[in-house]
Amino acid sequence: MLSGISTVCFVSSYLVALILESTRLFFRSSARGAVMWIFAAGGVFAHTLFLFSLSWNSSRLPLSSPYEWYLFVAWVLAIAYFYFAFAKPRAVTGLFLLPLILVLVAAAQFADRTPSERTGLLRGWITAHSVFLLLGTAVVMIGFAAGTMYLVQVYRLKHHWPLNSVPRLPSLEWLERINSRCVPLSMLLIGGGFATGLAINSRFLQDARDRLAWTDPAIVSLGGMFAWLLVATIFNRCYRPAQKGRKVAYLTLASMFFLLVALGVFFFSVSEHEMSRPVSGVHVGNEFAIHGLVPPVERRVT
Amino acid sequence: MKLQMVGCSHHNAPLEFRERLAFTPSSTAVALERFREQFPQAEAVVVSTCNRVEFYTASDREDPYPSHQQLVEFLAEFHGLDAIELFDQLFERNGEDAARHLFTVACSIDSMVVGEPQILAQVKAAYRLASQQESTGPLTHSAFQAAIRVARRVTTETGIHERRISIPSVAVCDFGRAVFETLADKRVLVVGAGDMARETLRYLLEEGARDITILNRDRQRARSLADEFGGSVAAWDELLTRLVAADVVVSATGAREPIITLRDFQSIEEARNQRPLAILDLAVPRDFEASIGDSLGVYLCCIDDLQATCQRNRQMRDKELPRALSIIEEETRSFMTDLYHRATGPIIRRLREGWQAPKDDELQRLFNKLPDLDDAAREEVRVAFDRLVNKLLHPPLESLRIESRHGIPHSLLDAMRRLFQIRD
Repeated sequence: MLSGISTVCFVSSYLVALILESTRLFFRSSARGAVMWIFAAGGVFAHTLFLFSLSWNSSRLPLSSPYEWYLFVAWVLAIAYFYFAFAKPRAVTGLFLLPLILVLVAAAQFADRTPSERTGLLRGWITAHSVFLLLGTAVVMIGFAAGTMYLVQVYRLKHHWPLNSVPRLPSLEWLERINSRCVPLSMLLIGGGFATGLAINSRFLQDARDRLAWTDPAIVSLGGMFAWLLVATIFNRCYRPAQKGRKVAYLTLASMFFLLVALGVFFFSVSEHEMSRPVSGVHVGNEFAIHGLVPPVERRVT
Repeated sequence: MKLQMVGCSHHNAPLEFRERLAFTPSSTAVALERFREQFPQAEAVVVSTCNRVEFYTASDREDPYPSHQQLVEFLAEFHGLDAIELFDQLFERNGEDAARHLFTVACSIDSMVVGEPQILAQVKAAYRLASQQESTGPLTHSAFQAAIRVARRVTTETGIHERRISIPSVAVCDFGRAVFETLADKRVLVVGAGDMARETLRYLLEEGARDITILNRDRQRARSLADEFGGSVAAWDELLTRLVAADVVVSATGAREPIITLRDFQSIEEARNQRPLAILDLAVPRDFEASIGDSLGVYLCCIDDLQATCQRNRQMRDKELPRALSIIEEETRSFMTDLYHRATGPIIRRLREGWQAPKDDELQRLFNKLPDLDDAAREEVRVAFDRLVNKLLHPPLESLRIESRHGIPHSLLDAMRRLFQIRD
């Protein structure tokens, strides 16, 4: 039964939920909330089953390929959307979160699906590395969505828009709370991912040829992102005006910029990192190797 | 079977008159007791709010039941007023109109601020008080329980209660809640002690505000407001100091110049550390200079912003009004049908009793003739007889139910009395 579930199932559910969220900008409906919730729940359910079936069918640990990694980040965001929709049912939180989910699922389609062959202790470290970065990425994206909502809400209040005008958003205090939690949490998670990556690169890869150079774009971009998050967390904790208001939202928006740079490095294959294995015809990579067109490109793991 | 309402509301009577006719909970109890002494068979409920005084009576017997005149005289005597004067100011609703009116009131369609939520609680309180005084009965129970049900239905099925249309409610509930998730842990500063401040305080308390400080040039007025709503009083010259600590400021003074200029605010801005501050400037002319709203972390709304929101909300509520009215109409019809059908109850009961006795006799005769029947067989026969009686009774009862839709079916009831020889 699980083999019948494809990305189309949950993508269409999320898409319908997004369309329904968008209609909130134009008209009221008493039944829409329930229908939207059903589609979102259906999407999360199908998404969960799909991820489960991926691991089940291949008899591997989850997160074995970049493809799965993107889908897992999207899944965590979908859970977050579910929480937002439950906590703030009248706010159009889906307009800010669902597009991120759909972009991640789309990115997954262009990511490499070849599972990593690493086993044993190294496999465990790689999984920890992936989980840290996965959760860190999701938290940064949640912070970005909350930060964007915060700035839209500030704009509405400062420009004296009628209070009943759309879009309806959560209170500034609530959004600020989400933002200020996302900054240190993302620092810890990305820091964990970066540290495990460094440990893998320096201690666990036996073959020197597998190791990444310390100047590899993957290490530099991830290190830069971690440094930014560290500075942002210190700034947030030590400078009182940065604990409240728009400054926290700006911090989360800047974090998203660093995340996009880091993801760009992996996505556009400018690194030697395993996650940078391309799929499209532009790059010669393992997708072609799978189809027996060219020999697989040997990539290294951070 | 009668249902009647005599009363006045903001639609037809001035405030001075409503004040003279108003009931407090204790005077309501006394009035209901006296009413029961005069009309022991009648039921009564008094709904008395600042916008209306309505005396509902009901009875399922014709006599003794207060006529319109007797009810007006009762009210005049109770309040020591001239009955002739009361006749001109009070209006009356009977039967279906009275039920429809009660439903309309409970749904707040008849309120001064359409959709305001307090009226339902007031109707419930009036019904509860009358029940405690034992002045309610089957008819008033049905009417008031139906009114509460209709109000809930209107709330769920329409958006009429969702949009606030008074300036203080929009200021606190919409603007305040757009900035803060809760007011329970916020420091609220109320500047001024007039009607607007009083009304806003009511909404602040409803939204959970606990830490409230009131400032007014006349400290005595601030004190009386603080005593009424709970809160502390601060001296007028502490305004800037209090502003440093405040999260929400409600300002509604009668000052002709701004009481806080941009320069004043800039002098405390550093001490605030850009903490969010919601300023609800409800004064005309404004108490806070408009440029203060450009400061970091400050969210300033003035009465014009709120009025624009109120206006839009009013239009949105108006759109919901036809749906609410159609629910009230539908529920009124259903309630009246039940009420009319209830009037047929005694006839139905006697009809059933009239058929029960011959059925039992025939059963007994049959069981005597068939002594070998076991218990299971006897039960089967008994059930068969019951079913037969029910089937025979179904057509006349169904006709009664259908005819009850348009009123008490007097002619049909009379025909049934004669056909089945039912005697009172």
